This record gives sequence, C-alpha cells and structure tokens, in this order.
Amino acid sequence: MKIGGKLVLCLVILLIVLPILSLVLYNLEVNPIITILKKPDVFINSGLNTFYLLTITVFTSIIFGLFPAWFVSLYNFKFKTLVDFLMYLPLAIPTYIMAFSYGEILSFTGPFQLFLRNYIPALSPFFNMDYLTIEVLGCVLGFSLFPYVYAASRISFTLIGQSYIHLSKMLGLNALNTFFKVVLPLSTPAILSAVFLVSMEVLNEYGATKYFGVNTFTTEIFKTWYSLNDVGAAVGLSVVLLITVMTLYVFEQMYNAKTKINYKENTQLDYTFKKTISATKPILFCIIPILFGFIFPFIFILKNAIDNILSFNFIDTLSLAFNSISLSLLSSLLIVLVLFYILFVDKEYKARASKTLNIFSSIGYAMPGAVLALSLIIMSSQIKNNITSISLIGTFFLLIHAYFIRFMAVGKSPIKSSIDKMPDNLSESAKNLGLGNLGLAKKLYLPLNKFALLTAFLLCFVDLMKELPMTLILRPFNFDTLATKTYEFAVEEMVDLSSVYSLIIIFVCSVSLFIVKRINHN
Amino acid sequence: MKNLPLYILIICSLCGCNNKQSDIVNLYSQRHYKVDEIQYEKFTALTGIKVNVVKSNADELIERLKNEGADSQADIFISVDAGKLQKAASLDLLQKLSDDIKTNEIPSTLLDKNNLWVPLTYRARILVYSNDRVNVTELDSYESLSDEKWKNRILVRSSSNAYNQALMASVIANNGIDGAKKWSQGVVENLARSPKGNDRDQVKAIYAGLGDVAIVNSYYIGLLLSSEKDEEQKAGEAVSVFFPNQGENQTGTHINISGLGIAKNAPNLENAIKLINYLLSEEAQKTYVRNSYEYSVNKNVMPSEIVQKWGDFRIDSLDLNNLGIFRKDAIEVFETTNWK
Repeated sequence: MKIGGKLVLCLVILLIVLPILSLVLYNLEVNPIITILKKPDVFINSGLNTFYLLTITVFTSIIFGLFPAWFVSLYNFKFKTLVDFLMYLPLAIPTYIMAFSYGEILSFTGPFQLFLRNYIPALSPFFNMDYLTIEVLGCVLGFSLFPYVYAASRISFTLIGQSYIHLSKMLGLNALNTFFKVVLPLSTPAILSAVFLVSMEVLNEYGATKYFGVNTFTTEIFKTWYSLNDVGAAVGLSVVLLITVMTLYVFEQMYNAKTKINYKENTQLDYTFKKTISATKPILFCIIPILFGFIFPFIFILKNAIDNILSFNFIDTLSLAFNSISLSLLSSLLIVLVLFYILFVDKEYKARASKTLNIFSSIGYAMPGAVLALSLIIMSSQIKNNITSISLIGTFFLLIHAYFIRFMAVGKSPIKSSIDKMPDNLSESAKNLGLGNLGLAKKLYLPLNKFALLTAFLLCFVDLMKELPMTLILRPFNFDTLATKTYEFAVEEMVDLSSVYSLIIIFVCSVSLFIVKRINHN
Repeated sequence: MKNLPLYILIICSLCGCNNKQSDIVNLYSQRHYKVDEIQYEKFTALTGIKVNVVKSNADELIERLKNEGADSQADIFISVDAGKLQKAASLDLLQKLSDDIKTNEIPSTLLDKNNLWVPLTYRARILVYSNDRVNVTELDSYESLSDEKWKNRILVRSSSNAYNQALMASVIANNGIDGAKKWSQGVVENLARSPKGNDRDQVKAIYAGLGDVAIVNSYYIGLLLSSEKDEEQKAGEAVSVFFPNQGENQTGTHINISGLGIAKNAPNLENAIKLINYLLSEEAQKTYVRNSYEYSVNKNVMPSEIVQKWGDFRIDSLDLNNLGIFRKDAIEVFETTNWK
C-alpha cells in the first residue's frame, strides 16, 4: 500500500514535471540571465510594475479581508450569517470579468459618470478622469481576491480560542490592543499563506493587466513569446517567474515553520468576546468590500444581461453551461480522488509524501496558465514523436491533465488539514478490529473527511468554472465553455453580449461557495 | 468502481478524438464572430460538409500547429492579422494554395505574392477626431500625428495590441526604422494619456474630452454607432472618421486583412478548398459585410450602410507580408520609444 501510494505520488510528480521539463529541454538555448541582460530596461520596468501592482493588491486585500474577519469571527450581530456569506462571493466572479466590468462602470459612458452628470453635475468634472491605471487595477484585483485573506483570517481567529483572549483581557488590553498585540501576531502564518495565494493570482493575471495597459512580468512573457517569436527567451522569463514564486513559497514555509503556534486544542471557541453588538460597526467594515467586490459588478452584469436578453440563444447557452459544468465536475472529482488517495497513504503509512506534494502542487499553481498549456502541447508532441503514435493534443485528456496540474494546490489544503487532524489511534483501533486498507478508506477516512473532501471538490469546481487560458488553447474542436464564450465577446469589445454567460458562471460559483460555507459552518 | 477515473479518462480522450471522416473540414481560427457561425452553417447546409472549429488567439494556434506537425488535424488556419499568416507561412505551416481557389475578384494588392494565404475581409486603421475640438483640415497622415500641435491630444491603445504592431510594421516598411522611431517618439510625446484600453475606449475618451484624435480600427466605430446603449452611440456620434495618408505622394491608409491559409498537412484538402471558395463567393462576402463592419475583398461587394457613409479611400498598397516581416522591429521601436 505504501508503495502504491508512493507510485501514485511519483506519477503525479511526473505529470507535473514532464511538461515543464519538455518546455525547457525543447528550448535548450534558454538562459534566463542572458534574456534579462538583453533588455535590462524592459525587465526592470515590468518587474517594478509587477511589484507595485502586487503591493497595492495585497494591501487592499488585507485591509478588506482582515478587519471584517475580526468582527465576524469575534462578535455576534444582526445579519452576521448573511454578511459572512457575502464576503466570500467575490470569488465567484472571474478576475478578468471584474476588470472589464470596472473598466466599463468607471468609463465616461459608464453608469458611475453618467449618474454624476445627470444628478450631481457640479461633481462630474472632478471624476472625469482616466481610470485605467495600475492603482485602480490593483484595487480591483484586491476587491476580487480579498476573500482569500478573509477566509484564512476567519479560520485563524476562530481557532485562537478563549485562553489567549482571556489572558490579554486580564492583562488589561482593550479590544483594539488585543487585536494588534495578540490576535494579529498569532494569525500571521495564516494571513501570509493567503497573501501567497493572492500574489499567485496577480502574477498569473493576463487579461486584466493587458486591458489596463499595465506591463507586468507575465505580459512580458507573452510579448516575448508571441510577438517577438522568441520562445527561448519567453521560457527563460517563465523560469525566472517560477524561481521568484518558489522563493516566496520557501520563505512562507520557513516563516510558518519558525512560528509554529499552539492553537490550544479543544479550547472553548465560543468565548466571551463573542458578545452581541450593534450591527453598525461590523457592517460598516464589511459593506465596502461586499459592495465593490460583488454587488456593484454583479448589478452591472445583471443589467447588461437583461438589456441583451433578446439576443441570447437559450439552447446554445444551455449547452455552454452543460459543457462548463460537466467538465469542471469531472475534473474536480478526479483531482480530489487522487489527492485523497495520496494523503490517505501518507497519513496511514507515514509516507512523508505531503511535503513533496506541497512543493509540486505549488509549481503547478505558480505557472501562468497559458505557459502551462503550451508546455503540455510540447510534451504531447514529444511523446508522440518518440514514444507512441497517439496524439493527445485536442483531447479532453490533455485539458484535464492541465487542470489537474494547475488546481491540485487548491484542493490539497482542505483535505490535508482535515486528515492531519485525525488522531492516529483511531485508525489503529480500526485496524485492530480487522479493517483492511479499503475498509479504512471507506469506513473511516471517507466519513470523517467527507466535508473536507466536498469543500476541496467545490473549491476546485469554482476555479475550473472560471478557467480560461488553458481551456482556450487545449480544447477539442467545437467545444466552448461559458468562460471561452465570454472571452470571445470581450476580445471583440462586446462585453455586454457575454453577460448572460458571466452571470451563469457567477450563479453556479455562488451556489458552490454557499454549500462550502454551510458545510464548514456545520 | 475502483477503476472509475481510468474509465472516465478513456471516455474523455475518445470524445476528444474526431477521427478522420470524409465530410468534415477542421479550422484553427482566430475569428470568432457570430457571422462566422452563420457562414459555416450555410456551407454545411449547401455541401453537407461539417465545419469543426477550434478558436484561440493566432499565436497559440500557430504554436499548436507547429507542435502537432505532420499529424495535425487542422485543414485551415484563419487569422485576423496578415502578420500572423506571414508568421505561419514562414514557419512552413502552410501549403501553396491550389489553382482551384477563385481569387479573380480580389484586388491584387490584397493577395499574397507567395500564394500561401488568401484574404477574407479587411479593416482600415483610421483616425477618429472630436467633432467639437478638431477641424478636419488639421488632419493629414499618420506621420503628421507627431507634429507638436497634437501635444496632449492623441489617444491610442497599448503596443501589445496586434493592430498597433501591424501599423508600426507598415510605418517601418514605408519610412525605414529610423523614420518609424522618430514618428513613434513624436506620437508618444503627444499622447493625452498613457496607452491602454481597447479601441472603443479611445473613442469614449474623446467623448469624455480626455483627448482629441485617436487611432482605431474602422470596425469598432461601426460597433459603437450601432450599440444599443445611448451613451455609446453618443460617443460614436461625437467623433468623425478620417482616412489618413490620402495625399498624392502619400502611401494610402493602412489596412489589415482577416485571411486564411491551408495547413501544410491538411487531411481534408478538398473540403478545405470548397470552404475557401464558398467564403470568397459573392454570397458569403455579402454575409460578412451585412453582419459586421468589415470591408469585403470582393470588388463587387459594397460595405454596410454605416461604413459606406464614411466614403471611399485609397488603401496602402504595401505587400501585407511586411506586417509580419517587420513585427520584431515594430516591437523594438515601441520599446525604445517607450510606447507602453
């Protein structure tokens, strides 16, 4: 069994490493240093832009994720459940749709400036400005990604437990000081992990940055690859990006290992701080991220969908929704099954696989989707030329392979943390009672971790519903999804006409997030 | 149950393989407009040949073609940029067009000298100007946009956009690399804001008073003027169209085509030729102009009503392959002159 688990892990690692290796081997002339030295200005500029954009996005997502999480975790107030749920919903809107929507909302012909011109004309000249800037993009991305910080802080704040808070109160600290001096330092590792996820998303962003005219490292990779036709240099730049991400990852892991915090197992979580307070203050803190992260773009898209409802072909839309949902369901199921198997063997046989899995799943998450897709195409043609005569390009097999590499990291965390929490003696007793491996998995691991598995499944599902660059390039003939159709309209500057498709994506993702929320609440 | 994932994968990969049939034609297409679906449906109704399409951006499709090599399923590669067709041709991904393809109604300036691709439609990269703040006599050519009188008045999208790259390639081909650098420098110094947004955003920016003249594709003005939204229509109406470089000694307005080439190893060659001939037919060309704001490549087919109102113009007769050949130089010019 242990060998079986290791074999599956090796296979997974191979699935991740092979495309990257073929990408690099295929371009042996790759030398990141030379690539950078050739054009130091361009490299420094895009590097600085990326850093600046990252800073704004991370800052915005911390501000709008952290403080609301504090209120929702530690106080009871009216509409708390609703507010808590709404805080997750920005995840239901793909970032490129969010960016295009804000581009339109803020433009001179958009609803914001139109409202000012019609109702507050005195103010309108002050707001007639250029909104397609790196700062606005940073904020839009921050509003789109703050739920990562919110979710991580929520969990961490809830786990801190009664003793720390009591102690801090006894030592005379008020709520504000308790937050900054006790809760925040204790939650840093969780927040740092969330910031890492936010950074990954920003580094991968392509559509939104291009639209806002911001040259980042990723846009530079694509320019080098496509416009300059210099695959070697593009691969070189991708390697630099990968190394940067891995450095960030190692830093995050090291920091978290150093500051291992004893969350006080079994402490009473429902502590006295959880008093009922007036809803004004918490809602005030939550209203901005909810409005900007979900309500405004959602209303804008809804209005467009209603305006254009006559131009929609119901049957076509239904078939697109079916394609998106079935492919996402299938792929998430596969990802969760494989992860469950590896982590089960890891726990049961102390196979020490999870660390290796951590690193490799992060590599997949760190690569820009389009680079990953192209490396899979190169890999498939190498396999076809040298090993078998079957070509996988243009099959669902390759598409799901790409999804698997990219989204393994998303599914891994909930399953891992749930399996980690299982006491060792539980499976010992089960084994003594005569349960085999299959029985253990079926009768012990599956029921005990079913919520984590479902959470992982739904989180992958949400990300897959939104996925665009890999689906575009790897999909089979005549296969469209809601995301690819939305993109086609966006490229032709007809975002309005894609709003029904965006709306379905948002609806399906919101329902999935609602289920995730319910599961974890219960 | 144990082997469920395996079964799923096998079924999936089988679903993806559209094995060779005699009545299909496979397209790798950068075009993804509603009008294309209409064309393919009509073609299938006429001939019984099913049109399979995979749509993505041109460079990704080229990468895919390149890597698939001899056993690529693609019959036809379609792009909305002559530069990308040239790129595919230079990578030896396209085959010579057969004599059976009827191009006699297409002006020779739009045809490929090497006979590796054929145009379907074309668009002009025009200037639009504010009706309130610009007198049409002030406008002349792309080159004159670097004049000092346009300081803080010009709007254009970023240099990562293929249409701008094609325009710059044409400027290099016409004026040499130093001339292009000088021009680009002048335009950058005259920009009303740093390059961003899409073509429609430039028109909206003129409407908002952020700038006075914009470089855009003719196609998008048609879209704005026919928009369902009042404000967008107003933006379209706030500007007028100007075809630059129409003077006697000038080059003519820069255009770019959408066109196609037959893949080197097209498995359904005969069907591909039938489809191409259909798309070049007068009937299909009329469908293009009726459903989009592009110009037909067929001399006998007039553009749509909105487009006709802008009047006739002389196109730049430059060999369109230059839009691909000078692409790298164009990027270099953009980079050295800091055109974002």
